Amino acid sequence: MTTDQRKFASSLDEVKTYIGKKREESMEIDGTVIRAYCECIGDPNPMWKQTAPPGLVTTAMISSGAMLIGVPLPYKRSVAGGADWEFFKPIKKGDKIFTSHEFTELQDKSGDKGPRALMVYKSTHKNQKGEVVAVSTNTIMSY
Amino acid sequence: MAQIYYEDVKEGSDIPTLEKTPTTRTLVMWAGASGDFFELHYEKEFAKTMGFPNVLVHGRLEAAYLTQLLTDWIGEKGELKKMTVQYRGNAFPGDKLLCKGKVTKKYVKDGQNLVEVEISVENPAGQKITPGTAVVALPAKK
Repeated sequence: MTTDQRKFASSLDEVKTYIGKKREESMEIDGTVIRAYCECIGDPNPMWKQTAPPGLVTTAMISSGAMLIGVPLPYKRSVAGGADWEFFKPIKKGDKIFTSHEFTELQDKSGDKGPRALMVYKSTHKNQKGEVVAVSTNTIMSY
Repeated sequence: MAQIYYEDVKEGSDIPTLEKTPTTRTLVMWAGASGDFFELHYEKEFAKTMGFPNVLVHGRLEAAYLTQLLTDWIGEKGELKKMTVQYRGNAFPGDKLLCKGKVTKKYVKDGQNLVEVEISVENPAGQKITPGTAVVALPAKK
């Protein structure tokens, strides 16, 4: 996960004040972007000449943007806990993707092992026609 | 790649395993391809301050491998509908990772031929470090 802005909150209540905070971004899905992704993971499938692989937007290019909403972390360490993706329409080469990231939930999971919280982010990806192409939910564990 | 059809799929059967060995070079490429510049994935000293012996493979890179496992299998006429992963363990550069899948259920819903698959990335010790589930739609022969 990206925590380029590693700032910390003084309490869980402070983190909660960020629920509902959003960040928008957009990206043109051209051949260069698709090629960079396919070369990195080693996916030579010829289908990706005209269509973006489903992981491109959800796991790679726009997946880190939610972290830039700037929600402060409740605890010192944090790791990605899990992710959930739904795919509604293929993304074609030449599409422009508009993503809205939102910090949606904070769960206090503190217990015997010490303080622990789950931070949930939801990202909705639309194409230039306004059609929802995919929805990503990412969970970050801070402890 | 031969197209797989709904009729070809049996509950309980394995899908073809995908093998990946990400190196530090892969992790640097991934940082660029994903915009994830967290030092944990390329700066060993930083990784040590977080209690890890080496830099970690990005969990989302493992998830990307799992999407490839599925798209390789379902072919041009298949559709990946849903995927869920949990990041439970860590992988290090040079680890041989096995991406595996097993069909757990098949059913027709709203005119679509859906197949549920249990997926995972296994580390060299055989631990499922990134387990998950997926739903795909496959074409029918007739």
